[in-house]
Amino acid sequence: MAFGGLLALRGVDIAVEEHQVVGLLGPNGSGKTTLFNILSGLLRPTAGEVWFAGCRVTNLAPWRLSGLGIGRTFQIARPFAHSTVFDNVLVGITFRSRHHYRRVLDRRREAERLLAMVGLAPKASARANELSLGERKRLELAMALSTRPTVLLLDELASGLSPKGREEVIRFYGRLKERGLTIFAIEHSFRVLAHVADRLVVLDQGTIVAEGRPAQVLGSPRVMQAYLGEDE
Amino acid sequence: MSLNTLAQALVSGALLGCFYTLMALAFSMILGVTRALNLSHGDLIILGGYLGYWLWSGSGLHPLFLVPVAGAALLPLALLWHWLFHRLPEPRELSSLVLTFGLSLLLQNIMLALWRGEYRLIASESLTGSLALAGLRLNQGRLVVAAAALAVVGALYLGLTRTRWGRAIRATSLDREAAALLGINVDEATRTTFLLAFCLSGVAGVLFATLHYLYPAGGIELTLLAIVLTIWAGVGRLRSVLVAGILLGVVEALTVAWSGPRWRELVVSLMLLASLLARSGGLARGWSH
Ligand SMILES: Nc1ncnc2c1ncn2[C@@H]1O[C@H](COP(=O)(O)OP(=O)(O)O)[C@@H](O)[C@H]1O
Ligand SMILES: [Mg+2]
Repeated sequence: MAFGGLLALRGVDIAVEEHQVVGLLGPNGSGKTTLFNILSGLLRPTAGEVWFAGCRVTNLAPWRLSGLGIGRTFQIARPFAHSTVFDNVLVGITFRSRHHYRRVLDRRREAERLLAMVGLAPKASARANELSLGERKRLELAMALSTRPTVLLLDELASGLSPKGREEVIRFYGRLKERGLTIFAIEHSFRVLAHVADRLVVLDQGTIVAEGRPAQVLGSPRVMQAYLGEDE
Repeated sequence: MSLNTLAQALVSGALLGCFYTLMALAFSMILGVTRALNLSHGDLIILGGYLGYWLWSGSGLHPLFLVPVAGAALLPLALLWHWLFHRLPEPRELSSLVLTFGLSLLLQNIMLALWRGEYRLIASESLTGSLALAGLRLNQGRLVVAAAALAVVGALYLGLTRTRWGRAIRATSLDREAAALLGINVDEATRTTFLLAFCLSGVAGVLFATLHYLYPAGGIELTLLAIVLTIWAGVGRLRSVLVAGILLGVVEALTVAWSGPRWRELVVSLMLLASLLARSGGLARGWSH
């Protein structure tokens, strides 16, 4: 993937197996979010292919990919700021999952269920811009889940949160995995992913510098070098 | 200025303001979904007015019957404009100015060639009477225009808030990428917006032609008014646009009542500058994501 003269991703080849949690690590600017933008259809890659469930999906529009079951969150959570928390979750249910919930009542129930799951039920009628950072991230997660994805792309869910918030994110990863979701998660800090991930991939300057089981990857000197002084 | 003149100016300004709202909404909807300023907006309205005038002088039908016809007549242009906007290079805020400035000149020249420079008005006798109400004289034409504009704005409001396509348009104009990820076909929503906005422009054109003389370059002023209202109200905020439209109509009517029509355009231009300086929200807020 090139932006003008800048090669943001180069020769990156990643396979995410069904029902696994794969963590994507790397210093700032290493191309992690760019990779997610390609996978979710917001960017067209200048070279390379994306495959999903046996189909080539390169360059499909984001709403088509969402229809196939790919959901994502943004690194900087961006719900519809002036709408209520409840209405934000309802958008995805209305547009993506309407065949599953034909009646308005069913849709509202599903929204309530998702909000309860991320612990935002008491805030349902608050406006999204009144939420704290942690709450906004949880809302984003509920919105991503509202499209009934089978694969979730999660961009730095734990960044900027308190240690307690991070613990909660780690528990979320576990719970999502239990429900059979496939998870591809970016975290800036490898501590968050060390326990939950089945596999870790480390990017540096747009290329994969390490890949494998968490213990393996985190022991590699190449990774420590890329991260030198980076981890908070 | 007597109290009666003042009341008269307030009421007729508010009536005119309903028309302004209708006109500005079309502009603001397109700005919302595309982040692009459509400088050819006023010219499209004038074109709708000319079409209405042409049909009216040919058929003699009541102007209200021609309103939907002119609305439908602009739909092919909506698809053309959408196609052109789709191809704008980044930064779109800037390249849209260049494109639509060119389209504005093109439309003006086409209208000049078709209808020459003469002033035209849909001077239907059915609209010329006036009604007396509580000591105020209300121009019947303005009443009809205001009622028609409010009806269309109301229908649009219901459509945008209650229907699937309306929700899609609103979500798209709030955050295009987030909307797309939630399963909304934002390209389709954009096309629908263009179709709706151009239909509104055609409707506004016929209504305008019953109030004002048309001339090929008359659209510039309407574009200016639409920009002023969008700055005041913010992008895609229907109720605020209604308030701003009525406010603009009243301010304009008061200016005219106080000093005659000489100062009208100057005052509107000054309001544009003042509102740009006074508000960092509005137009800018629509772009802030
Ligand atoms: N839309 C874009 N246009 C130009 N450059 C971009 C764009 N998006 C990202 N980049 C550049 O690509 C590189 C990778 O960015 P990003 O994927 O956001 O990194 P990460 O998420 O790993 O911190 C950075 O150098 C960034 O400046
Ligand atoms: Mg990033």
